[in-house]
Amino acid sequence: MTELIKTPRTGETLPVKAGKRTNPLANVFDELVRFAQSRSLFMLHYCTGCGAIELPPSMTSRFDMERLGIQPMVSPRQADILLVTGYVSVKTLKRIILTYEQMGSPKYVIGICSCTVNGGMYWQSYATAKKLNDYMPVDIYIAGCMPRPEAVIAGLRELMENIRQGKADSWKDYYRHYDHYLGHQQRLFGETWQTPTDVIAEARHYGLFGPDTLGTHTALLEQHQRPLEALEMKVDIPELMARR
Amino acid sequence: MTKDLSTWLDTLLDELQGIEVRRKSSRRIRVDVQPDALPALLELLRGRASYVHLSAISCVDWIEENEFELVYHVWSYEIGSLVSAHTRIARDPGVYISVYDIYTPAAFFERDIHEMFGVFFEGSPDMSKFILTEWDGPPPMRKDFDSEAWVNAHFDFQDYQPDWLKEIEAKGGGVAVRPDEQRFSRRDVDAS
Repeated sequence: MTELIKTPRTGETLPVKAGKRTNPLANVFDELVRFAQSRSLFMLHYCTGCGAIELPPSMTSRFDMERLGIQPMVSPRQADILLVTGYVSVKTLKRIILTYEQMGSPKYVIGICSCTVNGGMYWQSYATAKKLNDYMPVDIYIAGCMPRPEAVIAGLRELMENIRQGKADSWKDYYRHYDHYLGHQQRLFGETWQTPTDVIAEARHYGLFGPDTLGTHTALLEQHQRPLEALEMKVDIPELMARR
Repeated sequence: MTKDLSTWLDTLLDELQGIEVRRKSSRRIRVDVQPDALPALLELLRGRASYVHLSAISCVDWIEENEFELVYHVWSYEIGSLVSAHTRIARDPGVYISVYDIYTPAAFFERDIHEMFGVFFEGSPDMSKFILTEWDGPPPMRKDFDSEAWVNAHFDFQDYQPDWLKEIEAKGGGVAVRPDEQRFSRRDVDAS
């Protein structure tokens, strides 16, 4: 493997510290909110690969994730955690990004198994993406091939602790450095890649619009972006049409 | 009856010229055949000798001989044996005739081989993309496709992080990743 060179990007903003508000009462309130958030997490498990096998025992009575307040959720709109379990093929990655962008903030991404960290045993496969955190900010990696339910629970506890301390704010990075993530996505999917979510408008909405939100890649996106149109409602059943 | 059929087939295959029959075991026969005779052989096996099930078509890229080897695996429920018909076609145009008219499931296997090896099957109903719908590179299973080079050109790898191992050993679980520490690219993304 060729040597990896770290090239820091220009205009890097400093890591944001968990801000404490001056009003002590507001402080207490914030802590309460964070505590409540950490104790009630809905998890969207995007089971891409073999790691999904470890989730049923983690969720059900043997290891029982629900005693920590973590429950599976069926839709991305209502989920807090996006759990990516296993290898991510290029086709799947598109769907994961769509799913991730649909989730409401605050949102946390957990990459389970070695494959999400570095491609794992598929490191030389043309079809699998290697580093999940090139395409979306990842909060916790749970390494292993595959990790046992104990490790999954330990990783989730670490996420809970980070949320309680206000340290799990990687999701903000997607808005602050959208250009960086979009660049990686475009490199893989081509220049015409676009998602239905207007991330830049969302960044403005959350107040997370920064100097690195826009860049060369978002300029490219604007060139190719087609406005979203509602799908035409069509009924193609002749019998129904005849009845009308 | 089954035994009759089996003996009859053996006799017939031995009589045919230009094909090479090797019995690997009691339930496996390997037949090497010229590409222009393969459809006729399959027609014979299916129509007369009860080999009604096409299990798979596999393809091997013999790059040094500049040939593709196509292997048609057909199975007979009555005789209970598998015939593998091997044939070799030239690698350069990489065009062969479809056996869709003999075995309908061949459409899927041929489509798959077309996608993975770039062999075109004349007469196959659909040669469009099958699984790699979003792939526009060369056929990836060919021996001259360098998967590792492609990976290096398109993906970054994670740096070796010795601290992560210590963290995992200490906590038994996850590794918290700061996005700011991870924002690097082996190749400069903007230069590409």
